[in-house]
Amino acid sequence: MSYTELTVWTRGIIMDKEGRDIVNSVSASARLEGKYAQAMENYVDNPDRTNCPTRKYCRMSDSILENELTYENEHPNIVVLVEGTMVKGWDYMRGMPPGGTLVINTHYTPDYMIRFVPGPERLSQLVCVDAAKLADHKWLYYRLGELGLDRLSTEGAAERNKLIAPDIAAPLIAAVIKTTGIVKMETIEPMIANKHAFEMALKELHIMKLSPVAA
Amino acid sequence: MATATALKKKMVRINGCVAAAQAAKYADVDVIAAYPIRPYTATMMALAQMVANGELDAEYIVADSEHSQLSISHGASSSGARVFTGSSGVGVQFAYELYSPISGSRMPVQMMIADRTLDPPGDFGSEHTDALSTRDMGWIMGWSCDAQEAFDNHLIAYRIGEDPRVLLPQMVCQDGFFVSHITGDVELPDSGQVKEFLPPYKHPYPLDPRHPVSHGPQIMPEQGPPLQLERARAMEGSMAVIEEVHEEFGKIFGRHYDPWIEEFMTEDAEVVFFLQGAHAVTAKFAIQHMRDKGLKVGLVRLRTIRPYPTERVRESLSKFKVVGVIETNMGLGSVSSGGVLYAEVCAALYEADKRPLVLSFMAGMGGEAIVLKEFYWMTEKMQAVQKSGKIEKRTHWVGFEE
Repeated sequence: MSYTELTVWTRGIIMDKEGRDIVNSVSASARLEGKYAQAMENYVDNPDRTNCPTRKYCRMSDSILENELTYENEHPNIVVLVEGTMVKGWDYMRGMPPGGTLVINTHYTPDYMIRFVPGPERLSQLVCVDAAKLADHKWLYYRLGELGLDRLSTEGAAERNKLIAPDIAAPLIAAVIKTTGIVKMETIEPMIANKHAFEMALKELHIMKLSPVAA
Repeated sequence: MATATALKKKMVRINGCVAAAQAAKYADVDVIAAYPIRPYTATMMALAQMVANGELDAEYIVADSEHSQLSISHGASSSGARVFTGSSGVGVQFAYELYSPISGSRMPVQMMIADRTLDPPGDFGSEHTDALSTRDMGWIMGWSCDAQEAFDNHLIAYRIGEDPRVLLPQMVCQDGFFVSHITGDVELPDSGQVKEFLPPYKHPYPLDPRHPVSHGPQIMPEQGPPLQLERARAMEGSMAVIEEVHEEFGKIFGRHYDPWIEEFMTEDAEVVFFLQGAHAVTAKFAIQHMRDKGLKVGLVRLRTIRPYPTERVRESLSKFKVVGVIETNMGLGSVSSGGVLYAEVCAALYEADKRPLVLSFMAGMGGEAIVLKEFYWMTEKMQAVQKSGKIEKRTHWVGFEE
């Protein structure tokens, strides 16, 4: 694929870092592999509030990105839902070209989740991974102090944790890379802090293969 | 307050906000006056972290409003400190009262502006109206189009403003989101290079109890005109210094900027875009694609709007048949009923022997990205004017017309 868009939907403040870690690590890996790549947050979502839906974007291409200044990913090939209940309520599938991938952090199976997906006929695969369990179910609580600062809507500027993907982002990144191959596993793996969750996820993905039709 | 020493040249990937903060660190600022407003906030966040980590030894003052921010800056600069402040959108407006006193007392305060649309109704996107509405207040002003240029412009502006022949404040502007939030590769210099380029700030008449002087006393009407004339002359006289400083910057850092305008594919161009700031990035891609199809289109980007390079604009634009001014600002009820750049362009061209036809495009309003097909659309409008030789409609709102 010469041009790929990855859109991550996450929850404002409490899971902001997780979303950022996914797009930043994928984009940095693509650049290491010699591609043109960009990671950014949705500028309009960004003065976020706790739990509100926010989007993070990554774009990569073999040629220079001419749409570098465009606010939003208009045609995401890959969509990640950092929190399972986000599967309902809004159209995260909007603009996805046929053959896309949807990755959800959930303990449910793809068989169960697909009924909530708007426009599933565009998918070539639905991937479910129990990221919260694989990472550490206490991930939210040990970050409370930091989240308090993030509540000031600092857009991550007050983040103390310099590690990339110390928690539930790790299995989600593993799911994206294993099922889409947008960057090489050996490029991204060294960046990931939670190696255990990353490795476990590679073995515990629930993948439903689908036959996409044009929207 | 020495801090940014022994830093080695390195490439980093940062956005415009962080680039501005890095520049302030390299400039070794003494006083920072902060008050948050999107999108420039991240600059102050980054500086707060630098101060907290001990990377930068500066007084970091959190003001209670933008008005106070600029008041603090005024006072600190009067006492001889190198001052850094900033704002966006309505924040820029709230500090308006201070712009004239600061330039009037010839204090080289530096203000970073990441543009944001003014209300209504509270949009985060970039429009240049916030800074442009202060353009005649005696501040040196210009836009950068990416993070590297933002970094460079901050250092350049300090050097110009603090030159004893100039002593004027500077607004170093960048588009909100398009520069402030888009990451790019930025070369951070050796601290030695900055030391060579930017000497420590020394105001000739700082407030100092050992050497009492008066700043800003009440004056009689007849004392006003000489002060105003002096400030006007300082602005005019800064032009030579601006050219000198850019040349020296190129020598030391290896990045050569024309201080006034950047031309792109204009050699044989017949129609050109005229704009400021980040939309030049997309404009260049659009122009390349149109060039591939044989269209004679180019770009002229204004880098410094105050002082305004009248001669350079005239000399450059009089070569073309049609000029399309991309405003990205609101000039309600202005000459073109569009933005304010149109009048600046036309006034510069008035005394030219050959004048191009000039159109005003209201594009990128509310901080919308100007996409490739909009540049193609605007080019079609310019070509139609070139063909017919007359302007039937002067101002076009891009996206609202066929």
